[in-house]
Amino acid sequence: MGATSADADRVIAIGYEAWIDEQLVRPASLELPHLQSIQPPPTNIGDLHRDRLDVWFRHAVNAPDQLKQRVAFAWSEIAVVSQVGALVNLPYSVASYQDLLATQGLGNYRDLIEAITLHPAMGVYLSMLGNQKPNPAANIRPDENYARELMQLFTIGLVELNVDGTPRLDAMGQPIPTYSQPIIEGFAHAYTGWTYAGAPSLPQARPTAVNQVQPMQLYPAYHDTGPKLVLGNVTIPPNQTGAQDLDAALDNIFAHPNVGPFIAQRLIQRLVTSNPSPAYVSRVAQRFNDNGRGVRGDLAAVVKAILLDAEARGPATASTGKLKEPLLRLTQLWRAYNARAADGSFRAFGAPGTSLGQGPLQANSVFNFFGPDFAPAGEIRAAGLVAPELEIATEYQNTQVTNTFRTYTFNRNSRSAGLPADAIVINIDAEAAVAADANALVNLVTDKLLAGQASAALRAEMLNLVGRYGVADVPNRAAQAIYTVVTSPEYALQP
Amino acid sequence: MTTEPRSRRDFLRLTGASAASFLLARPHDAVGQMVGGGGPFNDYRALVCVFLFGGNDSFNMLVPTSTNEYGVYAASRQNLAVAQGTLLPINPVISDGAQYGVHPSMPGLQSLFEQGSAAFVANVGPLIAPTTKAQYAAKAVPLPPQLFSHNDQQDQWHSLRGRTLSDTGWAGRMADLIRLNVANQQLATNVSLAGNTLFQSGDDTVSYTMGPTGPLTFSGFGAAGLQLEQRRAFERIINASYDSIYLRGFAEVQRRAVEAADRVSGALAPTVQTPPFTTVFPASPLGQQLQTVARLISVRSQLAMQRQVFFVSTGGFDSHDDQVVNQPNLLSNVSACLAAFYAATVELGVAQSVTTFTQSDFGRTLTSNGDGTDHAWGGVQVVVGQSVRGRRIVGRYPSLALNGPDDVGGGRMIPGVSADQYAATLARWFGIADADLSRVAPNIGNFTERDLGFLI
Repeated sequence: MGATSADADRVIAIGYEAWIDEQLVRPASLELPHLQSIQPPPTNIGDLHRDRLDVWFRHAVNAPDQLKQRVAFAWSEIAVVSQVGALVNLPYSVASYQDLLATQGLGNYRDLIEAITLHPAMGVYLSMLGNQKPNPAANIRPDENYARELMQLFTIGLVELNVDGTPRLDAMGQPIPTYSQPIIEGFAHAYTGWTYAGAPSLPQARPTAVNQVQPMQLYPAYHDTGPKLVLGNVTIPPNQTGAQDLDAALDNIFAHPNVGPFIAQRLIQRLVTSNPSPAYVSRVAQRFNDNGRGVRGDLAAVVKAILLDAEARGPATASTGKLKEPLLRLTQLWRAYNARAADGSFRAFGAPGTSLGQGPLQANSVFNFFGPDFAPAGEIRAAGLVAPELEIATEYQNTQVTNTFRTYTFNRNSRSAGLPADAIVINIDAEAAVAADANALVNLVTDKLLAGQASAALRAEMLNLVGRYGVADVPNRAAQAIYTVVTSPEYALQP
Repeated sequence: MTTEPRSRRDFLRLTGASAASFLLARPHDAVGQMVGGGGPFNDYRALVCVFLFGGNDSFNMLVPTSTNEYGVYAASRQNLAVAQGTLLPINPVISDGAQYGVHPSMPGLQSLFEQGSAAFVANVGPLIAPTTKAQYAAKAVPLPPQLFSHNDQQDQWHSLRGRTLSDTGWAGRMADLIRLNVANQQLATNVSLAGNTLFQSGDDTVSYTMGPTGPLTFSGFGAAGLQLEQRRAFERIINASYDSIYLRGFAEVQRRAVEAADRVSGALAPTVQTPPFTTVFPASPLGQQLQTVARLISVRSQLAMQRQVFFVSTGGFDSHDDQVVNQPNLLSNVSACLAAFYAATVELGVAQSVTTFTQSDFGRTLTSNGDGTDHAWGGVQVVVGQSVRGRRIVGRYPSLALNGPDDVGGGRMIPGVSADQYAATLARWFGIADADLSRVAPNIGNFTERDLGFLI
């Protein structure tokens, strides 16, 4: 969620791969226990989302399992559920979903999609929860929402792909759709009969603090037992149990050749670069298809392949890397400056959707804050490239983010006076100690935030602005230096 | 082969903590080749697109009430049907033989329709060419790709791209076409109050995005002293050359933000202190956005605006669940917001110059999934304004019979008129020359009616 000096020193000491291996065995930091520890719960249970954000930021800023948290964040933008909408009063469920991503996000993908499918947060968000077998007399047929989005967004996408992520074309030069409406209907039938665990019957199920964090349960009387058309001209046979149908459906999707390149492309975009080369996608997809030991879907191997690929660390070109989204620009600042409130909490940062245009598990729809194919007009589009994060970098949101950074540098630092007890402050003590020396201050700040690689122009502006304050105005000199970096384009790039 | 990190700097580059910037080239100039010609327009016109995200179940918004047709409707919709007696009656000037009513939560829209300031466009949706059920079944005509998928069908409405790979929107292309006519405008033709949208993306023009209450100004920037220097330094930094395409794109947005914030906020400030209209808008996000649009329209002269396209939106229409509970609130808000906005344009004396229209991902299945509906195709849209030939239902209201002539399965209606025809009608009113309509609506040549006639 942004590197600290300690992270960097550790990697240098042991090497990239050993650092990743070390991260893989760290236990995932979990949100649900924190929410459950708040007793009694608030009268308006939705208020607990504020505590969910609090613990999300605590982990992003302080937790030792940074790789798991970072990969969980990536998954939260691919297999989206959101507090915005039907989950507003199910905060435990959303926290538990985040915990699932942190716990299993580097496990096997087949297990991950099954856990996601049966998680009640996803059940509610994409309405598989309560989905029933047909009732032809009332023109009722199964809900197609999850059936569609699981394929379109989480596993195979809309068109058939080569292993390098480029679309396969038919004889007419047209892309080939991966599925048709009858196939969606087949899967929709397969996903019938599930809702909250422990209810007397499917229609009587209601969310409780307990069942909203348990996998959904099958209620056999509401499961459709007919045959179901799925991918590859396969038909799931009739008269299977709901669990058998679910297994068959997920096995069918998981075996599709698109999954490797689709997931490779999505994860590379979230972790490394907006525009991976087909060769890079292909290398990662092949690792998805076989981790070298005959296992398909090994996500630890996939993430390793993504992070250790030569393209992830090769020389910079104009399209290397990606724009850092606002949430990650803020967590990087907070990690670099050990931000916290006096009691360690981040509860005061309650509305990231307003301040940053995005917040943890707060997208407006299952299509995330931005789309993987967004290409702004101008040179990016003209070159056939994409820049997903630029979709939310509008004039309005960029100004909002710039102003948020003004608050969290000038007005919320360890030298600020008269702040409320819960104010989240960055620690500028080290900067204050050298602030009289503008050059030393600029070196320190650019070292922490830009690995010392600030452009000459940015350094010059930092010196210019710092010099506008008296030598004794230590807090403002330090805040100005930090503000100038975190609002600069340079800081917005993950190179 | 894994190369180990040689230094802390190397590692920080990998994890995203650093950035390299080399001042090698001037930022890219987004202005492309000029098109068209002609001088300024001699009037002011604005289009306001109200996008209903998620796919509005619009066959519950405009519902047949006559006995036979309602019977078909009720048989198809079952537990999702709106009760016959609760529908708000309307009296179209031209009858198709059936009678119709508006959803009971939409009295504002009923009233706009009855006073002749609103029309419905029945069963409109993305098409490449006229399509019958037989042609659909036989794949005898090209169809927009990925029917029934949210983002793909939103993109169809926004871009009218059909099966091409075009990545501009039809409002963006309109702005491109008129850019020489509106060269004096102080603000982009396309303004969004609801985030980036393909709809407004052009090749030669850029859109401008503000918040639901207008643009933000930069805190700490001012006109003198340190505050002025803060701004100047910020501008110099964003005007620097960047090697990375992402940073050039990012800096370009920042430049527009700084450049427009003061001017637009300055123009709007008096309208906050002394509102130019008394109409009270709903407190909803859509109400807020439309109120801001009305305020922006009130300062059109200060900003030398002649042609504007505003994009506002509201979501929650993807009613897979709990439709009976949620839809009334959604439609009620749309109705109240449209009515308030229309009233404000009357107060401002621009009701003839401003046309508001809805778009949505798709209509929804007439059949139920138990307590909600799934993604479908054609639907009903609303057009509001004094230039609207109101009290009309434009286009043929489809047969709502399951497996009937308009149903491709599950109660998914084949559109009777195309989104291209809808857009072309709006574009022509906006001032796009007939010869240029096919640049706005690329498939319009496949349809005999280039203008649906709902605008004067």
